[in-house]
This record gives sequence, structure tokens and C-alpha cells, in this order.
Amino acid sequence: MRVLIVEDERKLAQIVESALQAEHYESVVAPTGEDGFFRANAEAFDLIILDLMLPGRSGLEILQTLRQRHIETPVLILTARDGVDDRVLGLDLGADDYLVKPFALPELMARIRALFRRGRPSDVLRLKAADLELDLVTRRVMRGDAQLDLTGREFELLEYLLRHQGHLVSREMLAREVWREPRRATPLDNVIDVQMTRLRKKVDADGVPRLIHTVRGVGFVLREGEP
Amino acid sequence: MSWWSTASIRVRLTGWYGVVLFLMMAIYATATFVAVRHEFLEQLDDQLHDDFEAAEGHLIAGADGRIVWSGERHHDPDSDEERGSDVWSVSGEPIYRSTASASLPPAAIAAATAGGRYESLVINRSRWRTLTGTSSVGGRAVVLRASRSEDRVRAQLWEILVVLVLGLPLVVALASLGGYTLARRALTPIDHLASEARRITADRLHERLSVPNPEDEIGRLATVINDTYARLESSFDQLRRFTADASHELRTPLSVIRGLGEMQLNRTRTPDEYKEAIGSMLEEVDRLTSLVDTLLRLSHGDAGTIRLSREALDVGQLVRDVASSLGILAEERQQTLKVDVREDVFVTTDRLVLREAFANVIDNAIKYSPKGSTIVASVRADGERAVVDIVDEGPGIAAEHRRRIFDRFFRLDEGRSRDRGGTGLGLAIAKWAVDVSGGQITVEGRPSGGSVFRIVLPAAAPAIRNPHRDREPQLKGEHV
Repeated sequence: MRVLIVEDERKLAQIVESALQAEHYESVVAPTGEDGFFRANAEAFDLIILDLMLPGRSGLEILQTLRQRHIETPVLILTARDGVDDRVLGLDLGADDYLVKPFALPELMARIRALFRRGRPSDVLRLKAADLELDLVTRRVMRGDAQLDLTGREFELLEYLLRHQGHLVSREMLAREVWREPRRATPLDNVIDVQMTRLRKKVDADGVPRLIHTVRGVGFVLREGEP
Repeated sequence: MSWWSTASIRVRLTGWYGVVLFLMMAIYATATFVAVRHEFLEQLDDQLHDDFEAAEGHLIAGADGRIVWSGERHHDPDSDEERGSDVWSVSGEPIYRSTASASLPPAAIAAATAGGRYESLVINRSRWRTLTGTSSVGGRAVVLRASRSEDRVRAQLWEILVVLVLGLPLVVALASLGGYTLARRALTPIDHLASEARRITADRLHERLSVPNPEDEIGRLATVINDTYARLESSFDQLRRFTADASHELRTPLSVIRGLGEMQLNRTRTPDEYKEAIGSMLEEVDRLTSLVDTLLRLSHGDAGTIRLSREALDVGQLVRDVASSLGILAEERQQTLKVDVREDVFVTTDRLVLREAFANVIDNAIKYSPKGSTIVASVRADGERAVVDIVDEGPGIAAEHRRRIFDRFFRLDEGRSRDRGGTGLGLAIAKWAVDVSGGQITVEGRPSGGSVFRIVLPAAAPAIRNPHRDREPQLKGEHV
């Protein structure tokens, strides 16, 4: 998988690059709009991460030209502009996703994975991690031999963690994907924390290896062994 | 016209005053003149009538059947110049002609009647008034004419006219001068007010205009301006406080991040220590991010650039949603969170914005109520309004803080609320959300302790309300 990062802020580009490398994606950084446009035209990429405010040529211009030339590489826009109009404009011009700065790195990675997954069937009926098993059809959750009694919200939360197992999940992601709130607010953050504590009590009862881990300042991860 | 519209109020006032006064005086003078003239001419006719009767007395029928003028000569030569009497027989022969009226043409004998007829004549550019009538002396009919010169009356009338026409502009000019002086005196306090107001700038907003008499017009104006200054001052204060609070809130996480980074780099540490420090830094970044997001949203709201969707929302349902979402927080604190929907009521506004208002107020109630207490959110319709009361059993809010509780960054207890993860913006966001929905949010104390946060919203058309709901009381009720 090859990713083109069109971003003029050097530090940010490096961070994204190393995050991609950690997940074994190959990446190329284009520091200007011109360079980005040239590379996107000339080389083949599986994904383009595009900043909107670029020197030389604006991200939206690049996106528009690419789409006019029928280059259908998925594009993820990364920008500090968070107006609804900006989002709509970007998506209308053919972007596949949109992320507002400052963003959480786990969220960027989750979105990239989602873009790569797109179009592939994902009709999984059963999610597993170590001896934890979640059945999406019967909505039964087993930890070893014991059946866990989860509320509806706990079930959705665990399902989300299992679908992203091994990857960090931020509170923003949970707010949007599990609680379906478009905005993260303080009350909801507290709700997420309490809900997570309760889920963890049920899943990681005494005496079994812990699966759900809190990563301070970032979010949560479901993973065997140490986070 | 441009000169007129830029002239000072006192000049324009005087101008209008002069014009109106001139018109009124002109009408008055004309009416006076017309009345006087009518009166003078009437008098003249009366005198003629007297002359006529006197002349009748002077005629005597002689023994020979002739009629003779027996009148004595008047001793007043002036008067004789101006009046005269003439007598003719019915056949037109003159019987008597006075000297004064000698120049007048003979009367029209055939037209003379018993009642007498007044006539005006102009002879040699002098005007005469005559009364011609028939009379009988000793059984013989005669035609008698009394005449008087109009010249004296005309001269008197002319004098009156001259006085009126010349006096009018003089009176108007004098009155305008007086009007100008009065206008200037009346308007001087306004000039004074203006120079005082100019003195009060943004740095001296605590100063006020002096109000010598609050009951008069100028006093009322000054009072209104002072009220405006008071509001301006409080907005400025609020802004100043906000700026100070915002920079404090933004700088605190920044200094923590900076301090942590600097401290970690001053010597080599174990991976666990680094992890701990980085996690701590990220937490501060998180706080900063959500603070900046909230502030941006509030400022978008202030600037009116936020776009809201409008849909009919079931307030009871929305409160139930929020309560079920936040219920877990109340559970953690062994609190009971009840929802009591007494009537179904709908409002038209943005769902997310209204949810945010309810969420922040309920979250606030949960946060500051003691463990094991009860929080009740009730929804009812009150005429054209939807009323949501959120009642808690917390410590309550002192009356002097109630006005500021919705201010940005206002905290009743600095340390405590920060520990509980508050940004100090929750209620400010709630107020903003209620405001943009066209409603009001207030807080009141309860006699038994605790607070009532009341959100009042304009209800949507009653037609959308569900009419069947009242017949199904089992659907109402409590959500725990």
C-alpha cells in the first residue's frame, strides 16, 4: 500500500509518515501543492492524504484537477477549516473522507484502514480476541466458558473495540461511531469513561488476562498482552 | 434645501416659528381689516339713513302747493363739504340741491322706491355714497337723495391697512428673535450633554452624565444615555473578564505541557516515566483542544455565523434521550435521575443544539448534587411555551452568583469544578444553545436547598402536539 502525504507542515508530515510506517504502509511526502499535484499525476498511489492550505496550489484545486482527469485514488482531506461548508465542498469535489486538525492519530489510522477496506465484504458474524468471543447474530458474548451479560451500549462498545483490535481507539471515535454524537462534549467524555470502566469490569474480571487497556491521553485499545 | 437640512436645530426651529407666526398674523390682520372696513361702510350707510330722515323733515309743503326746503344751513363747513341732500319732484324737476352734492348727477327718478336704494358713485376721482328714495310731503310725492363723501372713511381704512402691513413683518421679526433666543436657551443643555458624552470613552465608562432634573426631556435623555453606558460598561467588564479567564484557561494547559516536556528532557528517564509524561501531556492537549473547539463554537454563535437546521422536536423525547445517555453518570453517584413528561410539547429548532443545552444542564446537576440525591427533569406545556425544569438537591447557588452562572468560565468553586473535568463553559454553552433556539434559561433557588434550572422555549404550533397522548397516561411517567 502506497500513501502520498501532501502536507507543508514538516513536523506533521513526519508524524503521519512514521505512523503509516508503523502499520507497514509505504509513504511519500510532498511538501508543496505543485509537488503533490505532479506526483499524484505521475505515480500510482493507493491513498492521498491532502492538506487544503498549501503553498503554490490549494488542496481543493489539486483534488478537482485529479478528479477531472479521472484519477480516482481515494483522497482523505486534512485541514484546520472545520466549517460545514468547507466539508461539503471538499466531499463534493470528490474527497472520500475529511478530518479536522488537530486530529487524533489513532483516528487518522482508523479512517485510512476504513478507506482501504472500502468495497470489500465485511460480513463477519463473529469477532474474536484471545478467549473473548462476540457473536453478532445471537448477540452473545463469551469470555472463556463464561457468558458475559452486557447492556446494549456495552455490546456496541465491545464490538467496536473488537473490530479495531490491536489499534488505538480515541474518545472522538467512540463518541461518533458508538454514541453517534457528531460532537464530542465534556458530559459525553465522562459517559464514555464510565461505560468503559463498567465494560472492563465485566470483560476483564479478576483472574483473567486483561484485554482492554487505557492509553493515557489517547484512548483505549483492545489487545492481548501489554498495550 | 441642503442649507436648510444642515442648519442647526435652533435656526430651523426659529425659521418654522417665523413662517407659522407670519401666516397666522397675516390671516389675523386680513380678518381685522375686512371686519373694520365692513363696520365703517355700515356706519356710513346708517349716517346716510339718518341724513335721509333729517332731509324729509326739512321739506315743507307751501300754501301754494309747492314744496320748499326749509333747512337751515349747517354751521360746520367741513361737514357740508362732505355731505349733501337733493330733492326732485316725481317729474324730475329739482326742488332743492345742496352745494356739496351739486357735482353729482341727478338721481334716476324712475328707479326710486319707497324703501330707498344705496348706491356708490365716483365723481372726479372722489367716491360718494348715496341713498335715494321716495317720500311724500303734504300728499305730494318727491324723490329724495342723501349723499356723503366716502373719502374720509377710505382714508381711515388706508391708514389702518398701512399700519397692519408695515407692522406685521416687524412683529414677526421681533418674535423670531425671541424664538431664537428661547430655542438657544432650551437647546443649551443638549450641547452640554454632547460635550459631557464626548468625555466618556472606553477607559472611563464608569463615568456618567450629570442629570440636573431627571423629570424633564433632557433629563430623560440623559438617563437613557446613562443606562446605555451602564450596559456598555457591563459588556466591557464581561469581555475583560472573559479575556482574562480565557487566557488563564488556555495558558494553564500550555504551561503544563511545556513544563512536562522540559522536565523530562533534563535527564534520561525510564520508558515508563516517558510514557507517563507523554500521556499527561496528551491529556492537557485534549483539554486544550476541547476548550478551543468550544470557544470557537461560542464565537461563531456570537457572530451569528452558525447555521442551524430547524425541525419539530418532541421536547419530552429529547430530554429522555439525554437522560438515558447521561443516566450512567448519575448511577455512578447513586443518584436518581427522573424524567417527568407531563405534556407532549414540540419546539422547532436544531436538534443537536437543543440536546447540548439539556445535556449540559443535566450534567451540571449530576456533577454538583450529592451522592444519593434525586434529580428531576420535567417537561410541560405552558400556553405557547415549552417549559423544562431541571431540579436538583445540590447545594444551590447564592443569589448574587445566579446572574453570572451562565457567563463563560464562571466557576462557583475554582478548584473543585476543575477537578471534576469541567471547562467552565458548560452552562455558557447551554445558555447559548437556548438563546439561539429563541428561548430563555434561568436559575432559581429552592427553599429546601438545591436549584431549579428552567428552560423556556417557544412551542411549535399546537396542531403538531399529539392529541391522543392525554388519553394514554401509562405512556407518561418516569424514566430512571
